[in-house]
Amino acid sequence: MADLFSNLGLGFSVALGLQNIALCFLGCLVGTLIGVLPGVGPIATIAMLLPITFGLDPVGALIMLAGIYYGAQYGGSTTAILVNIPGEATSVVTTLDGHQMARQGKAGIALGTAAIASFFAGTVATLLIAALGAPLTKLALIFGPAEYFALMVMGLAFAVVLAHGSVLKAVAMILVGVLFAAVGTDLETGQERMTFGFAFLTDGVDFSVLAMGLFGIAEILRNLDQTEARDVVRERIGRLLPGLAELRQAAPATLRGTAIGAILGILPGNGAVLGPFAAYTIEKKIAKDPSRFGRGAIEGVAGPESANNAGAQTAFIPLLTLGIPPNAVMALMVGAMTIHGIIPGPGVMTKSPDLFWGMIASMWIGNLMLLIINLPLVGVWVRLLKVPYRLMFPAILMFCSVGIYSINSLPTDVMLIGFFGLMGYLLIKFGFEPAPLLLGFVLGKLMEEYLRRSLTLSRGDPMVFLERPVSAVLFIIAFAILAAALLPSLRKSRDEVFTEA
Amino acid sequence: MDAPLDGTSSRRGPVRAPQSLVAGLGLIGLGVFGIWAGSDLDYGSLRAIGPGLMPFWLSIGVGLCGLALAIAGFTHDGAPLQSFTFRGPVVITLAIIAFAVTIRPFALGGITTPGLGLIVAGPLAIIIAGYAGTEARFIELLTLALFLTAGCMLLFGDMLNLPIPIFPTAVVQAMTGVLPARTMLRLAAGAMALVGLGLLVVQRRSGRREPIEVARHSLTT
Repeated sequence: MADLFSNLGLGFSVALGLQNIALCFLGCLVGTLIGVLPGVGPIATIAMLLPITFGLDPVGALIMLAGIYYGAQYGGSTTAILVNIPGEATSVVTTLDGHQMARQGKAGIALGTAAIASFFAGTVATLLIAALGAPLTKLALIFGPAEYFALMVMGLAFAVVLAHGSVLKAVAMILVGVLFAAVGTDLETGQERMTFGFAFLTDGVDFSVLAMGLFGIAEILRNLDQTEARDVVRERIGRLLPGLAELRQAAPATLRGTAIGAILGILPGNGAVLGPFAAYTIEKKIAKDPSRFGRGAIEGVAGPESANNAGAQTAFIPLLTLGIPPNAVMALMVGAMTIHGIIPGPGVMTKSPDLFWGMIASMWIGNLMLLIINLPLVGVWVRLLKVPYRLMFPAILMFCSVGIYSINSLPTDVMLIGFFGLMGYLLIKFGFEPAPLLLGFVLGKLMEEYLRRSLTLSRGDPMVFLERPVSAVLFIIAFAILAAALLPSLRKSRDEVFTEA
Repeated sequence: MDAPLDGTSSRRGPVRAPQSLVAGLGLIGLGVFGIWAGSDLDYGSLRAIGPGLMPFWLSIGVGLCGLALAIAGFTHDGAPLQSFTFRGPVVITLAIIAFAVTIRPFALGGITTPGLGLIVAGPLAIIIAGYAGTEARFIELLTLALFLTAGCMLLFGDMLNLPIPIFPTAVVQAMTGVLPARTMLRLAAGAMALVGLGLLVVQRRSGRREPIEVARHSLTT
């Protein structure tokens, strides 16, 4: 316990440095901005801003990038409440009750509740990361290649289960992602794999190129098909701070939402998106009068909002302790860390404690900043929402091109984002989700390396994965959840067949 | 993200879920392509896995998923094919290619494009991209292009010092020794911003109010 506080003390001393505070503020501000704007997600933004962090020291760079990520969670709820469009994927459920509250002239209270619930969740999640960091890092030290391989298989299994839509399509996307990761020079033999003699494929596909294509450009193409006109709420925003009675009503929902979000966020495989949905469902189930939901119930704002913020932050735990990114944004953080010469994993905490604890402390500071800057700035955000999409997408396109060009100074990289953008557009049109592909791509290289290493160590005996207890347990969990995911869908499709017959 | 399941849409033909069928065929194609692309690689043994083993089995896996999806297209009712628009993808791709070949000299076959730098590539990309939407207005896009390019020049070239070409190679050669690069950059950015402001004022005069359009956001995080 004393360790925890001395570590947090170190963290705060780093995070409170003038430059880091400024970067944290900048990150939160940019994050809120892209969170507010529908159609620009944190994945594309972080990929775009990677080159900007080249000149910074690693701590500052990561503090800023992290700020963008959780800042986006705050911003997304503003759009959800005021315009009835989720600014971010994680604020979809906030539209249900948040916008209804706005219609009733309680927009300010909804915004205030969302901000306070998010801040509470952020605080708890920060403490959780600090508390779990050390023990999990110790656990990671007993992990051999076999365990790492098993853990990644489990992560991908979770990604399949937590993805929207068809399980089969999610599995296919992950396999395609791992296949893409194999393109380029083979690390062990130096042989070129599937490069077709193209020089620009020798080093493999760059992760930020893939991410920006699949999420930045594809998102533009998809939005061009379906822009729609909507009006920003005309009613007065009203007072921003919820009263005592409202706080009392929202408090239990916030607690539950935080717990659900934090747990789902730790799970490898993008649990953070599921958090708000789960929280909303639970609030509705245990409410005395479920019919209030969808008509402006304050619990319907507090629960999901705390869940999405808690999940966004606990997603850092697997990254910082085990070196395994649980979702696409964390995968970009891996990229950012590697650029700065830091290998994510258990070594981060021991080798560069200032980075580890500084980043954790900055998260709490960032949450506090978001609470303070967000409420008074609501007016600015509302005005931003009036920027039409026909001006936004050329700007996004140009920032993507400039950003990707400045990473490697290669025009071919710019062309590749166009290629992957088209691919992402096709995937979306055929009902595939690009997020599992990206996760498979990131874990693919690591997985192959660990697989080969563990089989070399075991002299070619594949039983090694089941003989070692930790890896056996991880494999069993992976197969169990996959089976569980397949069963109900099997049952459901059978039911459909029956009703037709 | 999926189109709502519509059990009645395609009951007549043997294909009950066209989207799954086509998606499955695409995956089978990718799998076959992967096997072909990795066929020159050594599989190795379990003790020492060669570079070809993973790509081979992954391609097989992708192909099998595709096969299952394609079969499901015949046995289960599912979503119909979604409509495609060609304007967006074609114009956006053009804009990206325009940026890529003008930012610095790019050789393709026997032709080498002149390197024109960000000051040309940026506005080019923005203006071309703008026409991907249906309500593009040239003057509006030009204003946007001037402001954004000036901002990017200052941010990437001046503040962050990233090695991104700003001016056409010919201009850089002509101006070497006459004017320091950084001064030239600032002057150019300032001039562009001024012209942009002028255009903005002109537009404000003939301004009109319109409903706000916002893009829908998907569950893609």
